[in-house]
Amino acid sequence: MTNKYLLKAWDFLSSFQLTIISLALLMVLVVLCTLAQVPLGTYGAVNMYMRSVFVWWGPEGSTWIIPVFPGGTLVGLVLTLNLLASTVKRLQFSWGKAGLWLVHLGLILLVSGEFVSAALQVDDRMAIEQGQTVNFVESYRATELVLVDATDPNFDEVFAVPTTLLEKKSAVNLPGSPITLNVKRFFPNAELMNRNPTDPPSIATMGVGPSVRIEERAVVSADNDVNNTSVLFEPVAAGRSYGVWLASIALGAPQSFTHEGHTYVMSIRPTRHYLPYALTLKKFSHDKYPGTDIPKNFSSLVQISNPSKGEARDVLIYMNQPLRYEGRTFYQASFGKGDTLSILQVVENPGWLLPYVSCVLVTIGLLVHFAIMLRRSLKRRQEKLS
Amino acid sequence: MKFTKYFPWIVGAVALVAALFMAMPQGKVNGFDLNAFAKLPILEGGRVKPLDSVARNSLLLIRSQQSFRFEGKTISADQWALDLMFRPEVADRQPVFVINDPDVLGLIGLKQTSIRYFSFETLAPHIDELEKQAKVAQPIDAKKRTRFQSAVVNLFERVYMYFRLKNTLQLAGTPGLAAQMQTVAAPQAAEMHSALTQLAMFRILPPLADQKAEAWQSVGENLQAGAMGQPLHPGLASLSRIATAYAAQDAAAFNNNVAEFQGIVASQRPEAVSHANNEITFNRAQPFYVGMVIYVLALLTIFVSWIWKRELLQPTAFSLLLVGAFVHTCGLAFRIILQGRPPVTNLYSSAVFVGWGAVILGIVLERMYKKGFGTAVATAAGFGSLIVAQHLAEGDTMEMMRAVLDSNFWLATHVVTITIGYSGTFLAGAIAIAYTLWKHIAPDPDPETGKALVGMAYGIICFSLLFSFVGTVLGGIWADQSWGRFWGWDPKENGALLIVLWNAIILHARWSGMARDRGIMTMAIFGNVITSLSWFGVNMLGVGLHSYGFMDEAFVALMAFIASQGVLMGLCMMPRRFQFQKPSPQA
Repeated sequence: MTNKYLLKAWDFLSSFQLTIISLALLMVLVVLCTLAQVPLGTYGAVNMYMRSVFVWWGPEGSTWIIPVFPGGTLVGLVLTLNLLASTVKRLQFSWGKAGLWLVHLGLILLVSGEFVSAALQVDDRMAIEQGQTVNFVESYRATELVLVDATDPNFDEVFAVPTTLLEKKSAVNLPGSPITLNVKRFFPNAELMNRNPTDPPSIATMGVGPSVRIEERAVVSADNDVNNTSVLFEPVAAGRSYGVWLASIALGAPQSFTHEGHTYVMSIRPTRHYLPYALTLKKFSHDKYPGTDIPKNFSSLVQISNPSKGEARDVLIYMNQPLRYEGRTFYQASFGKGDTLSILQVVENPGWLLPYVSCVLVTIGLLVHFAIMLRRSLKRRQEKLS
Repeated sequence: MKFTKYFPWIVGAVALVAALFMAMPQGKVNGFDLNAFAKLPILEGGRVKPLDSVARNSLLLIRSQQSFRFEGKTISADQWALDLMFRPEVADRQPVFVINDPDVLGLIGLKQTSIRYFSFETLAPHIDELEKQAKVAQPIDAKKRTRFQSAVVNLFERVYMYFRLKNTLQLAGTPGLAAQMQTVAAPQAAEMHSALTQLAMFRILPPLADQKAEAWQSVGENLQAGAMGQPLHPGLASLSRIATAYAAQDAAAFNNNVAEFQGIVASQRPEAVSHANNEITFNRAQPFYVGMVIYVLALLTIFVSWIWKRELLQPTAFSLLLVGAFVHTCGLAFRIILQGRPPVTNLYSSAVFVGWGAVILGIVLERMYKKGFGTAVATAAGFGSLIVAQHLAEGDTMEMMRAVLDSNFWLATHVVTITIGYSGTFLAGAIAIAYTLWKHIAPDPDPETGKALVGMAYGIICFSLLFSFVGTVLGGIWADQSWGRFWGWDPKENGALLIVLWNAIILHARWSGMARDRGIMTMAIFGNVITSLSWFGVNMLGVGLHSYGFMDEAFVALMAFIASQGVLMGLCMMPRRFQFQKPSPQA
């Protein structure tokens, strides 16, 4: 009995029907994902339709949601299993099928490449002004609350907490420091305004906090939107409270308190990852076609200095010509401040080679297969004629 | 009998001669050598081109035509531009502004009638109001403007363009360039120089042989330099005499001075002169327009051949198709050489190239099967795509490439492969449509022909899958090279992926036996829908209900196309002459 069902399941898993259904579902997802990019932005739409097991839906304003459609992850997984199963079941090891073997191997690599990127790819950015040296990359979306101890003139000691942790916990210890942060209120996105005398009093007691009115906003995901992550918190050290402070990514001016001779500067900033090497921007160039504003080329002349390897050399990063270094790739992405600031996109993707290999395999496979078929059909025509 | 043997080739030769005739320069108009003036090289939009290109593109943007009739005469773009620059009082009376929007007509105090073209003179009293309305609408995002706002901004931009062209070589309503040169150092002249500099639409004074190649100057810039004590450009004096001679309608003096100016340019920048000469030949030949006309003739011939004199007309249609393909290919090659870039650089050239690919594939099919269907689908595809291209041409179709696209390697590999994938998918769709019509119309459809058509479509779908897959993946690799991720699910990538997925579905459906001939053909027609959506639909994403203008019209056209494909798919699924097979019981 079980055997019979298992056999049926195997048949279905390795069937063409499942291939066609999965491909059709994928097409529907691709269309939905494309249309959803208008309101949600690329990041939001891809997370909703492609990088999810199910597409969830709930009525506006209610809290419950139900899965209404398989998501890209699920369809991709089913398609991969189907591909493996049908390859095992249907494809014989013969030269006549060599092309199809290559095609399907390439496709499996391509899909796994997308899974690897979804899981492991990290997109950061590095903004450098001309003459500046930078040894860290910043996240596009993730933020952190940092307390910088700048007491020692030779170096800054940085204590950082991801803001996602502040959202979950009511008290956070800063490892390596005597300070504990009591989270009073956390806002994933908020608008900060000047507080009117008639507004209710703020929870904040120190710094700019008391003069600010905070209004919570819905989290946004569109490509150019920024979430103003903000938090009201109370630093406590050695049983002593230093008051309730407001920190927000929207606040520019530094705020600080002093505990036992150490001054801590507090702020929320894009999450930083420090690199074991540094880039110095020597020159940023932005060429235009004569008599127009059409950009002809952007390029950044940077120096890499890596003391651990004794490396110091100049690299020109420009359009279609990124710098690949130590597992990260630096691309010319944007610029600002009257062409003196260069913004590089920094991508870390261990699976970046997979699509290249896959492309070669599938192309060769398709060519071989169609060549075999063409030969066969020409032969048939010849036989018919003779 | 000899005549019927040679007839197809005679027809082809006549079409070829007619196409070559188009490239000949026009004769003198009232003794003025307009051609010599039109081929002067200038710098505009970041590249060197003949003045003729600016004249044609401006008139195309302002009036949607490259020439027009006025007082019983055909006015060419070149003549119009000359009048506008040197005899503005004549040009201002010519109806060059096309206005369709009833609210905009109302704004300038006109009722909607059959007259759609208006002169600057008619608009002049309302320019202030037009500017006021346009300034209100301009800050609004182009996609969120109402129909009226878009139309007002559009008209205002065209008027401004007209105004700039008018004031490029000398300020309209002033004594002219010669007088300006006399008083170049006068303190009150500075304001006029700066106005000329700001309004100049193109730069006509070439860099001298010892200057940098991009150092072209407009008349205003040169006068400004002159006011600072630098020597004026050696060509400026002859340019001022050209202006005076044309204003006075002195043909001999005009021709002499144009020749003199041309000589100065040629001595300093011979490469600019030869480039301009090539481009003006290309402009006149209009290979894609001529190709389109030849394709239509071939298509009509093949239609007629199905009911009359098949043996004679089918080869004639094929011969016309070959000539059309030859003209089309020459046009593409000419463009590649002129621009120094691979064939596809923007939406316009993609349409030209998609058509070309389909035509070549169709010719191959016709050689293989010799049933006339290859000719029919090739001419239909060639004609259709060139029509689309005509509508996509907005201004200069050889504009400079933005930095991120400035890579001949990727343009040549990714863009070309994916466009060939489009060609193939459209051609398979066209074959399926031919199959549908044949199935319902042919008096005696033999299974052999049906099999041949399905075989053709199947082969072409395999071909398109190969090209669209490789093209899509190459696009991913380009993306990985230039901004660091292979695949970002952005709309353009998704569109390409849809074509790959759809072709893969068709092939798997055939291999598994889930779809037979009729099913495959219906799916091939749906391939047209998918391809058109990923080609153009992506550019319309985010277009709201209120938008207006080109893309809105294109949206209607796209929807109509999709609806037509839906009808054809229905027809394809239906058995032959279904309405006769099952008469209703009441009848």
